[in-house]
Amino acid sequence: MKKIIYILLIMSIMCGSINANPVEINAIQQRVDNVGTRLLNFNRIPKRIIFTFDKEGKADWLSKYKALKRRQIIVYGEQYQFIQSDDEIAAMLAREIATVMKSYSGMWGGTIDAIQVALSSKKFETVADKRAVDYMVKAGYNPLALIVYINKTCPQKRQDVIARHNLTSKRLARIYEYITYKYPEYLQDNEYINNQYYQNFLLNSVENRRMLEEKIKTNSAKEVDYE
Amino acid sequence: MNKYITLFLLFLFINPFCMAEPLPYNFSDTTCVPITLSITEEISTKDSVIEGETVSFRVTKDVNYQGKTLLKAGDIVNAKIETVITSGMNGFPAEIIVDDFQIPNVDEKQLISTHYKKGQNRCLWVYPLKWSLTLIPFAGSLTNFIKGGHAKIKPKDIITIYYYPNW
Repeated sequence: MKKIIYILLIMSIMCGSINANPVEINAIQQRVDNVGTRLLNFNRIPKRIIFTFDKEGKADWLSKYKALKRRQIIVYGEQYQFIQSDDEIAAMLAREIATVMKSYSGMWGGTIDAIQVALSSKKFETVADKRAVDYMVKAGYNPLALIVYINKTCPQKRQDVIARHNLTSKRLARIYEYITYKYPEYLQDNEYINNQYYQNFLLNSVENRRMLEEKIKTNSAKEVDYE
Repeated sequence: MNKYITLFLLFLFINPFCMAEPLPYNFSDTTCVPITLSITEEISTKDSVIEGETVSFRVTKDVNYQGKTLLKAGDIVNAKIETVITSGMNGFPAEIIVDDFQIPNVDEKQLISTHYKKGQNRCLWVYPLKWSLTLIPFAGSLTNFIKGGHAKIKPKDIITIYYYPNW
């Protein structure tokens, strides 16, 4: 019995030391900083925004408020676990940069705009997605990584009529439309065509992409009501 | 002796790969040339404004740098509509973001040029109204029907973008 207790104690100590490995955390922080700063510099964003990796913390409804108030983008361990490339980190950070930039403009040092972004999260979600695509392209990242990242990480709710967020399928369709019109070269010379997550998006967005094709065919300027 | 020569040659070969690549930008210089522009034709979120569409601006004042004229008053500069945010419920204003200004002999990387234009922000009175109406059941939801103002860029609006010649 004692042996088992000792083994358990040793294991728990070892697990603790693995979780708090400072070298690993430092490497992730460095990676996040590199990508984030590249996004800021290549987009000539003349405002201060910092990036912090928090392995233990969890993203909650207050995360956005922290970003808007302190201009500090926190990358949580639970988000980072989905990341597979620098393009995907860029996708995650570019969205947050777009949100934080809103807190730098407008009345009372951006306070009013920050509150608006926080209250109208659904509307601004689409805006942040689109701005993220622009930021990524300017910094030399592939914007299709945003589709891959969202497709992997955001759950699909039943409806978005009474909700603070858009349906993920709608967000993805709008991002795809934005890239189709503004940066078609990424779809023509598609680096993600052999990416299984991107193919999964193509599979689950057939109906929405058909609607977009119809819009392009008819040369319509109307907003498509995606599913 | 041969060992040392080999090590020296190896060092010479490896060294260039170890050196950090120079960055494609350098923001140390603070020289800034403002460029003032006005749009040639009014655009508004009320009409169909398409993201990616090209819009034209007219230079309002001569732009000089180091004794040379970069742009003359009246010259046309093209830009793109980057993002359009339509007006939303509860007085959320519409917004137009214009960027990607094409200036002859000026690299896009030398410009800080993103221009934001917002419509009338009605949230300032809509939200207090909404919260005061919540005392009556469902009445607060009525403010959802109040939309924010449309964003317009008129020819009389002066837009300033900044050219950093040494970036």
